[in-house]
Amino acid sequence: MTTPTPYTESRERGELRQAVAELAGTFGRAYFLRKARDGEKTTELWSEVGKNGYLGVAVPEEHGGGGGGIGDLAVVCEELAAAGCPLLMMVVSPAICGTIITRFGTPAQQAHWLPGFADGTTTMAFSITEPDAGSNSHRITTTARRDGDAWVLSGGKTYISGVDEASHVLVVAKTEQAASGRLQPALFIVPTDAPGFTAQPIEMDVVSPEKQFTLFFDDVRLPADALVGREDAGLAQLFAGLNPERIMAAAFAVGTARFALRAAAAYAKEREVWGMPIGAHQAVAHPLAQSYIETELASLMTQKAAALYDAGDDEAAAEAANMAKYAAAEAAVDAVDRAVQTHGGNGLASEYGLGSMIASSRLSRIAPVSREMILNFVAQSSLGLPRSY
Amino acid sequence: MANIVVLVKYVPDATGDRTFTSDNTVDRVGVDGLLSELDEYAVEEALKVVEAGDGEVTVLTVGPEQAADAVRKALQIGAHKGVHVLDDAIAGSDAAATSLVLAKAIEKIADYDIVMTGLASTDGAMSVVPAMLAERLGLPQLTFASELTIEGDTIRIRRDGDAATETIEASGKMVVSVTDQINEPRYPSFKGIMAAKKKPVETWSIADLGIEASQVGTAAAWTKVLSFEPRPPRTAGEIVTDEGDGGTKLAEYLASKKFV
Repeated sequence: MTTPTPYTESRERGELRQAVAELAGTFGRAYFLRKARDGEKTTELWSEVGKNGYLGVAVPEEHGGGGGGIGDLAVVCEELAAAGCPLLMMVVSPAICGTIITRFGTPAQQAHWLPGFADGTTTMAFSITEPDAGSNSHRITTTARRDGDAWVLSGGKTYISGVDEASHVLVVAKTEQAASGRLQPALFIVPTDAPGFTAQPIEMDVVSPEKQFTLFFDDVRLPADALVGREDAGLAQLFAGLNPERIMAAAFAVGTARFALRAAAAYAKEREVWGMPIGAHQAVAHPLAQSYIETELASLMTQKAAALYDAGDDEAAAEAANMAKYAAAEAAVDAVDRAVQTHGGNGLASEYGLGSMIASSRLSRIAPVSREMILNFVAQSSLGLPRSY
Repeated sequence: MANIVVLVKYVPDATGDRTFTSDNTVDRVGVDGLLSELDEYAVEEALKVVEAGDGEVTVLTVGPEQAADAVRKALQIGAHKGVHVLDDAIAGSDAAATSLVLAKAIEKIADYDIVMTGLASTDGAMSVVPAMLAERLGLPQLTFASELTIEGDTIRIRRDGDAATETIEASGKMVVSVTDQINEPRYPSFKGIMAAKKKPVETWSIADLGIEASQVGTAAAWTKVLSFEPRPPRTAGEIVTDEGDGGTKLAEYLASKKFV
């Protein structure tokens, strides 16, 4: 029996990985692609993962969850992706929305929402990006104004994932501070069937069961308890949710890279040309070995970010989470590219399920925060370089 | 009220390389192992029984140190406590000696109503331990259950045979073995994984069970493996090219193998 070091996972986390991998293996890539191509959702997979408590590993035990951390949730996300059947809404629903409500929701909000995050019966989308603001929370124009006890929400969002699968969306909006008159971000839980709420699908060239949406809020009336936590603590609350998002996105990408590399290695061992497996040629082997190293490094940084976050060090977690997401996305894009190349023409054949990953792996480089924005962040806050914007 | 003892076995992972030790018994130490898949059905069925009424599930294993992993997996799935009979003297035991150790351990557990097992282990695959155990414990045996219902202290099972399907019932204490048709075993939940750390597992030696070393192990085995060799690799099949007589050649082949 080995003693866990800071560089290896606990036995329980390893067992969680194994359990999720076994379950995911009964679904797999073929299931995922069939659902995505038929325009269906991977509801059976989501329910099965939820029923076993894997979507709720990070929800506190008193609300029916597993009482673990974001590191445990990230492992679930990674294993599903590594089996070829990722659940994108895990990044959003339990990781961002679940975390924010756990940390900042009122006791009543926690009692209402967390049991649903614990067993996966609640799916909540998250919306921050706007057509004119991207992820720049200072430029957000969606506003919520008070009307007696209630709130009235107006504005819009774009590139919001899985709104058609969600009963509610957690919306980042601005509110006017009573004292200073300044606008501050605040978070609202908005039902997707609220009058004045419109969701328009965006046509995407990505094979994914989860769709992207543009949202319009035309004076959507919300009750007082739609506001999560405090009206004036919006920014801190927001960042509490964004670190888990980056950690989950990193885990998602690490899983994607693992899937691609496993497929590539298996093919390179089996495919014989001129009497030897193509994997014996260094031109094939070295790029895959390099991708394996990059994936392992990204995985290590993801674990570090999760460990810092779970230890309560939000600030240190922010740098690590951004770097993990950067590294994992690059590893995933390269691994998929090399896996396709290893397969030759088969790399683009539907049967092998890799061609569809070219676009979806690029998603990791763009969302939830682009490679370039992470480089800006590291340049400024880690290296102290001047801001360009 | 039903307290159930479920027998679980730690077996070499069938997807890995399986080897033998120098005395021609299965190497259980140097290879990756896991809870025998067929035992998961027994654990699941036992949990369903206690969840529908009440009682506790105790998992019992006989095996080397690593066999604790099989117990832990069963505890993660939901069993309440574990017993691990661990003794170097047991290594190499045959089914008869294994059933002796199990019977003594079950007698020591004492507070049980049902002994539940899988249909066979995925390594030995003999399927004889449940019957031997019932004989040693003097209990009725309901084996190869593909369906199980409980009414009071009576258990009725369906047993699917080649020629007929039997319905068998027994009352009181008994040994039940279940097939892989009986249920769909659950996965260990994260809560289950964390909770298993705190569940009690007792480790017993054969001395604790009043068994002499001479009664178990390789020396006491009724059979001895003299030699073994790996299964020969598959040979390429015979390909019949259809030149208008494909059907005839196919029939000839089947006839030569006595299939038709």
